[in-house]
Amino acid sequence: MLTAEQLKEVLKENVINLRFHARGGQGGVTASNLCVEAFYGYGVCQPMFGAERMGSPTESYVRLSANDDLVRTNEQVYAPHVVAVLDPSLLGEIDVTAGLAKGGWLIVNTVLNQVEIQDVVGRKDINIGTIDATRIALDVLGRNITNTIILGGIIRVMPIFSIEALGDAIMRRFKGEVAAKNIAAIKQAIEETCVYDIGKDPDFTVDTKVPWQQVFPGLPGYKEVDKAGVWYCDEDVIEMGSGLVNTGSWGEYDMIWDEEKCTDCAQCWYICPDFAIIREKGEDGLWHMKGIDQFHCKSCQNCLEVCPVEAISKKLKQGPASCAAPEN
Amino acid sequence: MSIEPMKIFFKEIKEPVTTTMIGNYAVAGGVTQTDPDVICAFPITPQTQSVEGLSDVVHQGRLKAAFVNVESELAAISFSTASCAAGARSFTATASQGYLLMTEGLPMAVGWRLPLTMMISARAFNSPNLSIWNAWEFTETNSEMGWNCIVSENVQETYDAAILSVMISEDSLFPTMFVHDGFIISHSVQKLTLIPDETVLKMTPKKPRDTIDPSNPGTWGGIVTPSYFMEGRKNLDEAKKPVLSQMREVFKTFRKETGRDYNLIETYNLDNSSKIAFCTMGSMCGNIISWMTKNKDIGLIKVRAYRPFPYEELRKIIEEHNIEKLIILEKSDSLNAMLPPFSMSIASALYPLGTLFRSFIVGLGGRDVTRDEFDIAKKKIVSVTDMKGELYQYLGVRETKQKIYGVD
Repeated sequence: MLTAEQLKEVLKENVINLRFHARGGQGGVTASNLCVEAFYGYGVCQPMFGAERMGSPTESYVRLSANDDLVRTNEQVYAPHVVAVLDPSLLGEIDVTAGLAKGGWLIVNTVLNQVEIQDVVGRKDINIGTIDATRIALDVLGRNITNTIILGGIIRVMPIFSIEALGDAIMRRFKGEVAAKNIAAIKQAIEETCVYDIGKDPDFTVDTKVPWQQVFPGLPGYKEVDKAGVWYCDEDVIEMGSGLVNTGSWGEYDMIWDEEKCTDCAQCWYICPDFAIIREKGEDGLWHMKGIDQFHCKSCQNCLEVCPVEAISKKLKQGPASCAAPEN
Repeated sequence: MSIEPMKIFFKEIKEPVTTTMIGNYAVAGGVTQTDPDVICAFPITPQTQSVEGLSDVVHQGRLKAAFVNVESELAAISFSTASCAAGARSFTATASQGYLLMTEGLPMAVGWRLPLTMMISARAFNSPNLSIWNAWEFTETNSEMGWNCIVSENVQETYDAAILSVMISEDSLFPTMFVHDGFIISHSVQKLTLIPDETVLKMTPKKPRDTIDPSNPGTWGGIVTPSYFMEGRKNLDEAKKPVLSQMREVFKTFRKETGRDYNLIETYNLDNSSKIAFCTMGSMCGNIISWMTKNKDIGLIKVRAYRPFPYEELRKIIEEHNIEKLIILEKSDSLNAMLPPFSMSIASALYPLGTLFRSFIVGLGGRDVTRDEFDIAKKKIVSVTDMKGELYQYLGVRETKQKIYGVD
């Protein structure tokens, strides 16, 4: 673990990269913004470019250095030195340690211990910090927003900015009482972060980006595209599209279908934006509803509203995805 | 936990203050400070927050402007042009397909010599797929209609460009668009220093100009026969000639007031050992400057004024620094021409000099441009000895699943 003075020395001629994993609505981008505001030198924060939806996995990146030429680049961050995970449910869904430098830090909001985390992510060459940010958030803030609390974990393992500077940044951004509560929560987080230090620090002078990774090698090239801009249904060349996205992990509810009540009127099938209503053609030559595709159902509840016979009901999801409640 | 991104602009900014902001909100702030009378735009990703931010300051009462909701970009440009002709200081913003929909209205703002300003958050045109990400659509069309166009590299520059554009428009009496790369700048949070309101207002006084005026009625843009049209065009052509020097003056005033140094073309490390330089504009310049900290044998020419294109200035720079070869990077392509559009402008400037160059098309539809592209372009230019064969090449594109095009 490096001290604040050692990091200051590193930052003179090197860049420190951070990556935040969260779900839409949990404030991952706000956390990365606060890093830039709290840092004494030059900093840039980029969200993962594209559309963000409530509950969907999000990423945001931060690049910090005392040398402004080094952070002037608008490249994306490929090789983070610190990865912070705001929502434990993301561990199973996303490769959170992708590109994380050897000796880098993984900071997770979790109740698991460090050895268990090591197993989940399958990496033994990184340092791990764990913190039960959800509990602190509920205790101190009164609601499950862990974005500022995870910054406490970062200060604990890699003090690139001070708690005072972070406090100032928060005061500028949030209103009085909310700001004070957040600062108190961060202080508690610094105390409570469990540190698993493998005794190795990342080498900040080495560029660990995989050459041409921004070009996504392995996907079809221009010579293999049959007709530009058109995907034929019988083609399996193009591995993309919403079919592959686990929109099911975004939602707050599990939708439940009652076969007994269902009249196969198919109104839910027409209204579902994600084709999550499964139908099959029966022996009678008619289509019958068979269930709900939980991988794609993001619980928009359109089907529930449209169903004329109340054959669809909802149940609050257990676990962390239900945390992604809208900000008021 | 309500976050008000425009909060800092709700009150008067009394002294230079450093803050962090995304590009679009920074533009909204810059526009707020220039005290526009009419804001009229239609939302399109990635331009949206710029207008959203302005609606915030208008709603909050800080800005006494008409915030006009319209049904399309064509309506937005028509309304902005008309209000500007009536004497208002007007602002609009768009991107990509919205820019195409505006096309019909764009030439008249030039013809009537209106100091309209427009922000463009550069985004690819939809072809062959829909893409909301960055490419330089503004170079691919409409650039010869006579709008001034300046391009920004980062959030600070795009904030400043919002103010500079008003200055340029009012001085030249031609509409000005200012461009930043969509998402890369429009959605990145960077530090920037704001200019005090008083200074901005001092730099952007509302000067008297020809407007539609009931006490002096006239027909604006009525039909003419072939006996008259060309004289109007030549009149505009003459009026366009001093615009580059007017821009220079604007940059000079801006430098005096803020200390920030802008120019039509900016150069970095041109007196290098290899006599080779990159030539590009926009956010990619930042990528190259960071990469240059480890590649000190190469220079960079950063074009800020894309329209009118500073041909003479570019020639002067190339001659003064004995640049032998140029690597032109651009985020647009041309499916018809010998060169993509930005390179075409450079090539016309280089014609009398005979400077060798190759053009590389990168970063279309949000594809990241990294050190890999710069390394390979630098390697490729070394073996260039003439201007024969294909002059442009795509970089950072997959040829097959296993092979990246142009990379061994």
